[in-house]
Amino acid sequence: MREIASWMRRTGPMGDIVLGTRCRLARNLAGIPFPEAATREQLREVLTKTAAAVAELEALGTFTYREMATMDALEREILVEEHLISPSHMQNPAHKAVILNAEHNISIMVNEEDHLRIQVLKPGLQLNEAWERATEVDDLLEQHLDFAFDLQTGYLTACPTNVGTALRASVMFHLPALQRVKKVQEVLGAVSKFGLTVRGLYGEGSDAWGNVYQLSNQITLGQSEDETIEHLARFTAQILYSEQQAREYLLEQERRLTTEDWLYRSYGILQNARMITSQEAMELLSDLKLGVDLGVIEHGDPDLLKQLMVQIRSAHLQSIMGQPLPVQERDRLRASLIRETLQKQITKGE
Amino acid sequence: MLCDKCGKQEATVKFVQIENNKKTELHLCRDCAHGYPGFSTGFDLQHLLSSLFQSVGLGQAVAPTVTMKTCPTCGRSIADIQKTGRLGCGSCYEAFREELNPVLRRLHGSGNHTGKVPARAFPKVRTARQMEELRRRLEECVRLEKYEEAAKYRDELRLLEKQLAGGEA
Repeated sequence: MREIASWMRRTGPMGDIVLGTRCRLARNLAGIPFPEAATREQLREVLTKTAAAVAELEALGTFTYREMATMDALEREILVEEHLISPSHMQNPAHKAVILNAEHNISIMVNEEDHLRIQVLKPGLQLNEAWERATEVDDLLEQHLDFAFDLQTGYLTACPTNVGTALRASVMFHLPALQRVKKVQEVLGAVSKFGLTVRGLYGEGSDAWGNVYQLSNQITLGQSEDETIEHLARFTAQILYSEQQAREYLLEQERRLTTEDWLYRSYGILQNARMITSQEAMELLSDLKLGVDLGVIEHGDPDLLKQLMVQIRSAHLQSIMGQPLPVQERDRLRASLIRETLQKQITKGE
Repeated sequence: MLCDKCGKQEATVKFVQIENNKKTELHLCRDCAHGYPGFSTGFDLQHLLSSLFQSVGLGQAVAPTVTMKTCPTCGRSIADIQKTGRLGCGSCYEAFREELNPVLRRLHGSGNHTGKVPARAFPKVRTARQMEELRRRLEECVRLEKYEEAAKYRDELRLLEKQLAGGEA
């Protein structure tokens, strides 16, 4: 079986509440129109120049350059499910590429909305680490490539919402307790007033499946990268505190039994279901993760649970079977994968 | 006003239904509104972006020659950019600076980049910006009375000052 991207394989710092951290830098090559406005020859030129620059990254490990057109649909979808490429990079694969390191925690999308989208993904809360690694990748590539940049407007991007630092830093939260006490809106609703934005698990327009929310900066002009990271870190600390408060509240004596009952019921369904959709699985796995993180449910392995959250996605399931599957078959296979994994972790715990 | 359905959350959506000439009005919270057929927030980033650009040119009397202006590198006009909300290439920023500045200020609250500078292309500016950032941190540490950390930033600053003076950067 294919190995899952390293940032989804383990839990990281504050891993009970923060699933992962991502920093993304947009860069464009000087003198070549942005992908949407470029000709086929110009897109090819971007691919050639970028492929030649991959050697500069040697100091950071082994990197592989692959053109999207050489992958099958399933392989591309797996990369989306692991957040290594965006859903839009998967569609229309012509003249697009992705550069990945061996651990699959650094990815560079070529010819997405911008010529280059450098992404660094880390497990848990690691904003500074992710930013430092991303800027390192950027510096190494810049030794070989001329980026579109001007001193007044900064790094030039196809969309004016990214221009300047072109940095989008995101923290991926798991907020089941705030959701349970119906305070997610109150906590996250205010962030837009502070130049931040909240989205669901798979980015723009996606629902917050399994109580997973992504918090990112909106502003890229007029503040330095360090200021952006500090600002996001401040809000992250506030959200962490609120979720911790909500978790303590759920464990207070007068409602502890209700909480335990709720979490064990979800656990029971996961251990016994014969068919399950990915949405239902995400919701119940979110409950189970909470149960394990609170110490209510014993024998839970947080790493295994985190892996399950991506293994149950359609493309991952189909890759286990080595072929495309009809929806009903996926639901059956998903339920059996969950049952087996949970059984394994119980045996391991005893 | 509280939501008519759950009575718990603040109502933010007005839902009007006309059936057999009878009009019913519901005030719903965001969560409950999602359950109603035909409900859409109508939020569309593409549309929002292009509207930001449109308010720049339209409304003011813009001479036809200005609207005809195109980017020398990619050939896009301001009308093209208004339509998609996207720029064609890096030179568009220079070609349409006048039209873009108000858009950037509306989006970011600022029109000036204060972040990272590419090292190979602008070595001196990069060092100067790094020094600005270190000074900012130094002041912050002094304000918070974190003197040990402040000393670290002061040493880094001195090193960069020397580099800049020696022309090594």
